[in-house]
Amino acid sequence: MPILQASGVRKQFGGVVALAGAQFTLEPGEVHALIGSNGCGKSTLCKIIAGAVAADAGRLLLDGREVSFAGPRQAAAAGIGVFYQDLSLIPEMTVAENIFLGREPRAPSGLVNRVALREAADAALAQLRDVLGAGVSADARVAELSADQCQLVEALKVLAADPRVVIFDEATAALDRNQVAALFERIRALKAQGRAVIFITHRMDEVFEIGDRVTVMRNGATVLTSPIGETTRDALVTAMVGDAVAAHARRRRHAPGAAVALQATGLSAAKLEDVSFELRRGEILGLGGLHGQGQSDLLRALFGALPLRRGTVQVDGQPLNPYGPRAVMRRSVAYVSGDRARFGVMAIRPIFENLVISLLARDRRWTVARRRLEGVIAPFIERLKLKFSSLRAAVSELSGGNQQKVVIGRWLATRPGVLLLDDPTKGIDIQTKEDLYATMDELCSQGVSIVLHSSDDEELLAVADRVLVFNGGRVVAELSGEQRTRFALYQAAYAAARPAAAA
Amino acid sequence: MAMRGLAAGQRPPYLMAVAVFVVLCVVNAILQPTFLRFGVAASNVAAFLPMILVAVGQTYVVLASDIDLSAGAIVSLVNVAVVSIIDGMGGTGPSIALGLATGLALGLVCGLFNGMCVAVLRFQPIVTTFATGIVFAGVALWILPEAGKQVPPAVYQAYAGAVLGVPTVVLILLGAIAFAVFAGRTPFYHALRATGGNMQAAYQTGVPVGAVRIGAYTISGLFAALAGLALVGETASGDPLIGGALTLSSVTAVVLGGTALKGCVGGVTGSILGAFILGLINNVIFFAQLPFEWQGLIQGLIILTALAGGVVMARGRQG
Repeated sequence: MPILQASGVRKQFGGVVALAGAQFTLEPGEVHALIGSNGCGKSTLCKIIAGAVAADAGRLLLDGREVSFAGPRQAAAAGIGVFYQDLSLIPEMTVAENIFLGREPRAPSGLVNRVALREAADAALAQLRDVLGAGVSADARVAELSADQCQLVEALKVLAADPRVVIFDEATAALDRNQVAALFERIRALKAQGRAVIFITHRMDEVFEIGDRVTVMRNGATVLTSPIGETTRDALVTAMVGDAVAAHARRRRHAPGAAVALQATGLSAAKLEDVSFELRRGEILGLGGLHGQGQSDLLRALFGALPLRRGTVQVDGQPLNPYGPRAVMRRSVAYVSGDRARFGVMAIRPIFENLVISLLARDRRWTVARRRLEGVIAPFIERLKLKFSSLRAAVSELSGGNQQKVVIGRWLATRPGVLLLDDPTKGIDIQTKEDLYATMDELCSQGVSIVLHSSDDEELLAVADRVLVFNGGRVVAELSGEQRTRFALYQAAYAAARPAAAA
Repeated sequence: MAMRGLAAGQRPPYLMAVAVFVVLCVVNAILQPTFLRFGVAASNVAAFLPMILVAVGQTYVVLASDIDLSAGAIVSLVNVAVVSIIDGMGGTGPSIALGLATGLALGLVCGLFNGMCVAVLRFQPIVTTFATGIVFAGVALWILPEAGKQVPPAVYQAYAGAVLGVPTVVLILLGAIAFAVFAGRTPFYHALRATGGNMQAAYQTGVPVGAVRIGAYTISGLFAALAGLALVGETASGDPLIGGALTLSSVTAVVLGGTALKGCVGGVTGSILGAFILGLINNVIFFAQLPFEWQGLIQGLIILTALAGGVVMARGRQG
């Protein structure tokens, strides 16, 4: 009998269908790899299994009995453990406190037995002692650990709960080869005990190394489940792509000039490793790959909002110095954040203020010359086909798509030479998307260069002249011309060499 | 195990508070030669006790990255309610017991109400407790529109007295410390700090963050009620405005004691020291015989200096 069985699982967020009847079975003692492109529903399925999201419809059977979790607490009590991609550690607490959070060893009085807590933490750390590196002890604060150490502590935290079903969501992203090998050893030990593992990864190598079976998801449905020995990389990539060939018949073409508008050389930052590229005038450069592989980080780094460890950025042949959003703005670089609610719109403020804020910041204006500014922004309102009742209305009254137009409009008003767009069409309607594509085309024809990250792979391939594929903070492939296919994109997104153990 | 957390070059967050506390004690002892006498020390504890109690309760709320701006109003409400009950029932023994019990229950209910608003209804903590504080203070004024009424001598004599040679106020302080030591070892305390440190991660780990936040507000309400009772013993009468200033001074004491307003870091030890610091500053200003019009200025500057020291030390810790 399968240990876990999900059938007909449906979930809708607003108007977006995340899961459209997903099927999934997990046998005791197996590692089941789960792969798929962005937005295919694999995270949502895992969140439902973990109790963090409630399904709209469908059945979840654990040991053949139907379960419905009210929250992560209930799922954990049922023996489901989750390694969260974004980790679930408390930075200011110690390693020991984190590993056993909510399950602290207790004395007969009911109080936390600190001696036992320490010993248990030491025992847990001993499992990965050889690869943990220096500075990891039961008493160390998690805030003092490096990214790979945090991932290993998160893994130990999951394992310490002794779960029967473990979901590893990108558990190896920051690990070197030795650390991955040590983690796989633990996973094999789990298998030997009859535990079951769902393994989400962005590296095809790992699918074939640790997986017993593999399930591919596409558009919220499971499209392929196969024993690992009976499939190939190409078959899996084909399953991810599907037969949606030429959905976007009109692949756009721009005519980039010869001049280099922006050049990045060897950029390294918190989640970026040695990224270099040239962006020509009038060109759209796409950033692709699975979610969170450094695409958004690159855009933030280019805008000066993310400190660089190494590397240089040149705009129009001149290095960016000083470095920081204000300085970068003055060099005619504009940035639209992927988190519209937090970093895009000022929700309760008027549309007018939202449209002129970048102009005011760039020009260091102390006063707002309303009538003059209304004249300045008028052409951009028209170009973007922005619909609103009054410029004095709060921007929150607009639809998501029109809010995004406002954010883009505020930057167009500064007449940028380079436009950095982080997932600008996420959650907006088709008509608005078309308006934005038309605007991008028009900008390109005027010599503006655009760096576009999109979580919609089809859009990325259709809109961008070239696509840089990211994996683990590195650019692993560049697709241009006829190479811009979903097949090539997924093949590149899942193929990456792992850095050897850090010296 | 007392040294736990001090390993690997870590300094406790209340180290600055210890330093400021020692300096203020020395200055106070110079200005007031009787400072170190037992009787004077005990009367200082009696004077500082309400603020200490409110600060202790506030600490738990702040550790969860919330804040309780109604604590002072709860103090006032409990104070006038207790005095009114005892006075209204003629000051008999049972009336005293009923009054004290009602006072504690009131604190508990107020704290629970705050916690429900914040954790269940998801209201914003600062604004919510500011508003509930106005409500509590309004009820206090309704119960007793102006300061007055009396409690029987037994109450304030017991409060000013001693048990086995230990002053009652010192016993209450020791009781609060004992509670903090006990609470600091409960699984609840780990959940509390996790909630303050990263609420999303705590939720994903299965920590019942809503219950934890309600628990913290309830503790704050109870300690505010204790402070209200202490003020009954101290003043022997009721005053609907008596707690007002305690809200922000309790937050100040918590921060002076090294507890971070963003949650997770800190603890009750620091808050008690912080409350002593605020009290000692008043003493020093009084005994330095500064002109009245200078007192507020000097008091503010000393608090700012102490805060600045804490910030400098925190930076040293990171770097």
